[in-house]
Amino acid sequence: MSDSSRKRSKWDEDEDEPPAAQPPPLKRRTKQKPAQDSPSATPPPQPSSVSRHPPHSHYVPPRTHHPPILPSRSVYCYERLNQIEEGSYGVVFRARDKQTGDIVALKKLKLDEEKNGFPITALREVNALMTCRHENVVGIREVVVGDTLTQVFVVMDFIEHDLKSLLTLMPSPFLQSEIKTLMHQLLSAVGHCHSNWILHRDLKTSNLLMNNRGTIKVADFGLARRYGDPVGVGGMTQLVVTLWYRAPEILLGAATYSTAVDMWSVGCIFAELILKEPLFQAKGEIELLAMIFKLLGAPTSNSWPEYSKLPLAKTISLPSPQPPQFRQKFQYLTAAGIDLLMSLLTYDPDRRITAEEALQHPYFTESPLPKHPDLFGSFPSAAAGEKKRALFSSPSAPARAADYKLLTDFDVPEFN
Amino acid sequence: MSTALYPLATFAQTQRTPSREDGIPEDLEEDLRAYGCKLVHQAGILLKQKQVAVASAQILFHRFWFVTSMKQFGIGDIGMGALYLASKLEECPLRMRDLINVYDLLLQRAAHPLGPKAHAAFAYAPMSYFGTTFYELKDALVVSEMQILKRLGFNVHVVLPYGTLINYLRVLGLTGEAAACTRAWGYLNDALQTPVYSLYPVPTIVSAAILLTTRHLQIPLPSEPPNCWWELFDAAWEDVWSVCGHIMRLYRARSAEETTRVVRLVNKKEVRRWLEERAEDGMNQN
Repeated sequence: MSDSSRKRSKWDEDEDEPPAAQPPPLKRRTKQKPAQDSPSATPPPQPSSVSRHPPHSHYVPPRTHHPPILPSRSVYCYERLNQIEEGSYGVVFRARDKQTGDIVALKKLKLDEEKNGFPITALREVNALMTCRHENVVGIREVVVGDTLTQVFVVMDFIEHDLKSLLTLMPSPFLQSEIKTLMHQLLSAVGHCHSNWILHRDLKTSNLLMNNRGTIKVADFGLARRYGDPVGVGGMTQLVVTLWYRAPEILLGAATYSTAVDMWSVGCIFAELILKEPLFQAKGEIELLAMIFKLLGAPTSNSWPEYSKLPLAKTISLPSPQPPQFRQKFQYLTAAGIDLLMSLLTYDPDRRITAEEALQHPYFTESPLPKHPDLFGSFPSAAAGEKKRALFSSPSAPARAADYKLLTDFDVPEFN
Repeated sequence: MSTALYPLATFAQTQRTPSREDGIPEDLEEDLRAYGCKLVHQAGILLKQKQVAVASAQILFHRFWFVTSMKQFGIGDIGMGALYLASKLEECPLRMRDLINVYDLLLQRAAHPLGPKAHAAFAYAPMSYFGTTFYELKDALVVSEMQILKRLGFNVHVVLPYGTLINYLRVLGLTGEAAACTRAWGYLNDALQTPVYSLYPVPTIVSAAILLTTRHLQIPLPSEPPNCWWELFDAAWEDVWSVCGHIMRLYRARSAEETTRVVRLVNKKEVRRWLEERAEDGMNQN
């Protein structure tokens, strides 16, 4: 026993303050002494208060479980290996932790042109990642800083693939059993974010990372933000979600939106996994709406009661009513699969299925059952430089909300 | 919620804060912390900012002083940075200009009784259009926001106590007593001026607020050893009592010298000068 406690105290020493004069076990006892004295001096007296504590409840973990207040480490704790990709938000590098040898992804945040201090979008991203720790959300390890205050790097677990390039590169599409596993993982991650009051707002295949052990991780929380009850306090921007995955209520200018926008994106991803190509490959919002109307049939007062109240509904001329085309488009999907897809791609955000409900959908319990992640094949990792990366073009995520005010046009802005 | 735990100071950090290492006495650090939080609170009220943002700012402010010395950064600047940062975190961002103007007013007003015109009524002198005050304050604001993030390791997760208080009062059947609810709520807000939110988990702090309330209003609750109400909330008596001590120390009478001392030491230059003078005094006495 003394051996194990000494070992733990050695750790404490390392992390807290190396030049401590006394061994911690001694200090701990000295801490409790004055604390014991004060209650005995005051009513009501607590006989033998220290020894007899009821076990902690699940909701109140002991104080020692809380993380300490620790400053950011330096980026020089990592050794840069290769560049993975560059986006509007910054550059992503592959790097090695010099201490542990772990391979990680370093995302450098762009802070050069900030007029309003640390960008709120980057804050939201870091916060969302820290709040939503989950098996299927990319793990944030820490945030490290460079020499100047403008160099900030988010350290994340390195994941070999993103689903988008995997879909374009793999010779044959995913099997139904594999799609079920992926969808189940995606839904549990999205459900976890939603239960922690986080909207992702940019779910798409290129933001889903996948490792060689059949696990996907939701990544890139650059557009994520907290939402509250009631939704939309403080105003929320309409300029969210990459066009192809954008829900109809955002397209039609709804002032408030909620978790349902993420579920629409999940529906688009589900279809993309089946089709091996994006479901709605539209060039602009009008074309996208036309494609949605074609697949789902035009919205009616029955299927979407709120439709006519949406700000932009009057500017859109609806095509003549027609039945949904899901069966024609997805010929080999089971009835349960079609039902799940239709529940995800539902016009009315209030009636769209939630992540929790979708996880209970019969699609996941009918044959073929979800494949065990360990049975997935592995692929050469483009991000690790194992194979030359194929170039693909997909529309970039909407730029920051601040830029939205500059736009008068309804068209997608082009940012370079 | 158990997945994301908020950071608390380690035992070593509570024993030796960086400010105390630099020679700032414990009571002075405590007073400076409280005064910095008062400024944050006043600025929040003048800016009509939401209480969630103000409370988060005060909690971040206290955490900061467990990893940084007051010799390196002034409580005025860091308070301003904390309020700016917390407003972003709570999705109610402030305009830099508004925050800077409000802080300028607050600092001028606080310094007025110590200045040469103390006998006259206070009149705010706006910043000169061509002056450098604004830009200096703006730089200080940007730097302090970044420093708070950096020194807290970007872990700015804050859990506020208000929801917990409501639940606990409900469990104890005290929600009918308006006086008790208001008083307990007030203790939680006052506790924001003390470092307890960086020292103890929320249930302990809420239990302390309830304990102080019920003692003051003489509401009996089961407090005999087998049935202690705070154990229902996973709080240990020593911890609850210590939080009570922190809160009650805020209300102690202070000498005129103690109150002017904190106002004078709002920025780091004054803190450094104060430390130097003290060192010289010590030399002379020897």
